[in-house]
Amino acid sequence: MIPLNFYLGLAALLFSIGLYGVMTHKNGIRMIMCIELMLNSANLNLVAFSSYTNTLDGQVFAIFSIALAAAEAAVGFAILMAIYRMHDKINLDELKILRW
Amino acid sequence: MVKTALEEFALLIPLLPALAFVITFFFGRKMPSGGAIVPILAIATSFVISLIITLRLLANPSEVISQSYSWFAVLNIGILIDPLAAVMLSMVSFVSLLIHIYAVSYMSGDPGESRYFAETALFTAAMLSLALSDNILQLFVSWELVGLCSYLLIGFWYERPSAAAAAKKAFLTTRVGDVMFLTGIIVLTSDLLKLAGGFSDGTYLLRFDEIFSYIPQLSTLQANIFGFEVSHLTIITLLFFGGAIGKSGQFPLHVWLPDAMEGPTTVSALIHAATMVTAGVYLVTRTFPMFIAAPDSLMVVAYLGGFTALFAGTMGIVMNDLKRVLAYSTIGQLGYMMLGLGLGSAIGLEAVGISIFHLVNHAFFKALLFLCAGSVIHAVGTQDMRELGGVGKVMPITAVTMTVAALALAGFGIPGTSIGTSGFMSKDPIIEAAYLFGEHSSNWIPYIFSIAAALLTSIYIFRLIFMTFTGEPRSNYHGHESPAIMTIPLSILALFALAFGSLTRTGFMNFLEETFANSFVNLDIGDLAGIGGNKLVEAAGHEPLFVLWLPLLVAVVGLAISFVIYYLRIIKLGSLASMKNPVYRLLYKRYYQHEIYTEFFSLGIVYGIIAFLSQVFDVIIDSIVEGIGILTVGVSEELRRVQTGVIQTYATGVIVGVSLLIILIKLILEVL
Repeated sequence: MIPLNFYLGLAALLFSIGLYGVMTHKNGIRMIMCIELMLNSANLNLVAFSSYTNTLDGQVFAIFSIALAAAEAAVGFAILMAIYRMHDKINLDELKILRW
Repeated sequence: MVKTALEEFALLIPLLPALAFVITFFFGRKMPSGGAIVPILAIATSFVISLIITLRLLANPSEVISQSYSWFAVLNIGILIDPLAAVMLSMVSFVSLLIHIYAVSYMSGDPGESRYFAETALFTAAMLSLALSDNILQLFVSWELVGLCSYLLIGFWYERPSAAAAAKKAFLTTRVGDVMFLTGIIVLTSDLLKLAGGFSDGTYLLRFDEIFSYIPQLSTLQANIFGFEVSHLTIITLLFFGGAIGKSGQFPLHVWLPDAMEGPTTVSALIHAATMVTAGVYLVTRTFPMFIAAPDSLMVVAYLGGFTALFAGTMGIVMNDLKRVLAYSTIGQLGYMMLGLGLGSAIGLEAVGISIFHLVNHAFFKALLFLCAGSVIHAVGTQDMRELGGVGKVMPITAVTMTVAALALAGFGIPGTSIGTSGFMSKDPIIEAAYLFGEHSSNWIPYIFSIAAALLTSIYIFRLIFMTFTGEPRSNYHGHESPAIMTIPLSILALFALAFGSLTRTGFMNFLEETFANSFVNLDIGDLAGIGGNKLVEAAGHEPLFVLWLPLLVAVVGLAISFVIYYLRIIKLGSLASMKNPVYRLLYKRYYQHEIYTEFFSLGIVYGIIAFLSQVFDVIIDSIVEGIGILTVGVSEELRRVQTGVIQTYATGVIVGVSLLIILIKLILEVL
C-alpha cells in the first residue's frame, strides 16, 4: 500500500504546476487546462483521504467535482470559442471590453 | 383656596402671550387684521391676572408668590412675584395691551401685519418672563429673547436698508452689554460655587435669595485689577450694570436707541415705554441689594445716569425728526431712573421706590408721546418737524393728549401738594434725592446734572409741541384725525399720564420698598449699605423751599424759551442754529458719534483687526489644507503603479499573501 503522503505530495505538485500555469500563461486554453489541473489535484486529495479513512464520502465528492469540472470546461471553452471568432486570438490580456 | 389658584395662574402671565405668538405666527395670515385679536386677548388676560396679583400683594405685601423647580444640579427655573415684579408685570401688560389695540389701526394694510403682531406678542412675553424670573440665569435668557425681538421689530421693514442697518446696530450694541452681563453671571457663579464649597444638589444657587445671602461673603473677596484692590461684588455689579447700560440706552451704549426709530412707531412705543429699555433699570433694581453692598458701584450708576440725562438733552434740542426727539428724551429719562437708583447710596431703599415709580410713569407718558407721534405720522405722512406745523387744528385729540404727555415729561405740578402730572410726581423726588445726596456728601454734580437735564427736557419737548401743532403749515399735507381705535388708547394713556402719579404716589413707593423684606428675601438694606461703606441719610424731607420749586421753575423757563422762539418766533435763531455754528454742528451731528462709533471704532479698528486676522488665518489654514491635498496626490501617484489591471498579478499577490500567512501561523504555533 502506498502511504498517504505520496498521494498528497503528488496532489500538491499537480496543484503547484496548475497554479504556476494560471499565473504565467496568457493563452485562454492553457489557463483553463491549468485550472483543470488544480481541480483534479483536489480530486486526487479527496480520493486519497477516502481510501485512507475507508469511507466512500470522498469518492462521491470527487465524482461530483469531476462532473462540475466537465460543465465548467464546456462553458469555458464555449466562451473562448466565441472570443476567438470575434478577435481571431484568445490572448486574455487583450480582452478589455468589460474594463473601464 | 383662592390663593393657590392664583399662584397657578401666575404662570400664565408670560405663557399666554407666548402662545399667542405661536398662533398668530402660523395662522395669523388667514385671520382678519393679521390675527391681532389673539395677542390682544392673551395680553388682556395677562394684565387681568397681573392686576389681581398686584392688588392682593398690595393688601399683604409680604406674601409674595414664589415657585421654583429644580433645573440641572444647582440651578432652577421659577417665578417670583414680589411688589417690584408685580408692578412691572401690570405696567408692561397694560401698556403693551394699549399699544396692541392702537396698532390694529396703525398697521392695517401692511403686508407683514400678522408677523408684526406675532413678534410684538413674543416681545411682551419675553419682557413678562424677564420680570417674573426668580433667578439671574432665567432673567438672562429672557433678556436675550427681548434683544432678539427688538432686532426683529426694529428691522420690521427689512426691505429698507436703513431699517436693516438700524436693527443690526441695535443688536450689536446691546450685545456689548449682554456680554458684560453674562461675564458678570459667570464670575458670580464661580464665586458662589467657591463659597458654597462645590456643588450640592437641591440648592438653587442662582436664585436671588441665595445670591443675596452670600453678599457679605462676596464683598470680602478681593481681586487685583491693574494694581487696584477691587471687591468681587463691585466687579459683578459693574458687569451687571454694563448689561443695563446696553439695554437701557445709557451712555456710551445709547447709540442704538435713536436709530431704533426705523421700526414702526408702535414698536418704538413698545421698546421705549413698556419693554426693552426698562429691562436694564429693572435688572439694577432687582439686584439692588448687591449694588448697595458694593462700594463705588452705585456711584458709577449715579454719575453715568446723570450724565446720560444731560447728554441726551443736549442732542434732543437740535433734532428735527419727531421720533428722534422722543428717542433722546427716552435716553434722558432712563438716565434719571439710573440716577435715582444710584442715589441709593444716600437714600437707601427709597431709591428703588422713586426709580421704579418714574419708570412706570415714564412708561405711560412715553407710550403716549410715541402713539401721538404715530398718529401724526399716520395722518400727515411726514415726521420732519420742519415740514409740519398747525397740526393741532386738524388733529385736536392728538394735540391735546400729546400736550398732556409733554407736561408730564417736563414734570409740571405744584410742589408740596398732590396736584401734578405723573412725571412731576416721580421726577421731582429724584431731583430732590439728588439734592439730599449733594447735601449729604457735598457732591453736587448729580444735582447739577439733573437740573440742567430738566431744563433741556422742557425746552426740547415744547419745541416739538410748538413746531408740530401750532403755527401755519409749512408744507402741503392733508391731515385728518385718527380713528377711534387709535384715539381711545391715547385718551386712556393721557388720563394715566395726568393722574396716575398723584393718585398712587405714597402708596406706590411704600409698596415697592417691601420688595426686599418679605417671605422670599428678608434683607436689612441699612446693614448692606454698611458693607458697601455707604452712609444712609437718617431723616429726609427738610429740603429748603427753593429745592422744591426749582424743578418746576426750570420746567417753566424751558417752556417759556420754547414759547418765545418757536411759537411767537420773536427771536430768530438764524445764525445760531446753522451749520456754521460749531456748537450747533457738534450737537446736530450728535457729537460725531456715528463717525467715532461706526466709522472709526467699528469699521476702522474692529473690522480692520478682524480683516487682518482673517487674512493671516487664511494663509495658515490654506497652506495646511492644500499641503494635505498635495501629499495625498503625490502618494497615490506612486501607489497606483501597484494596480496593473492584470488579474494574474492580483492572483499572485493573493496566493503569496495566503502562503505567507500560513507559514506565519505555522511558525507562531511552533513557537507557542
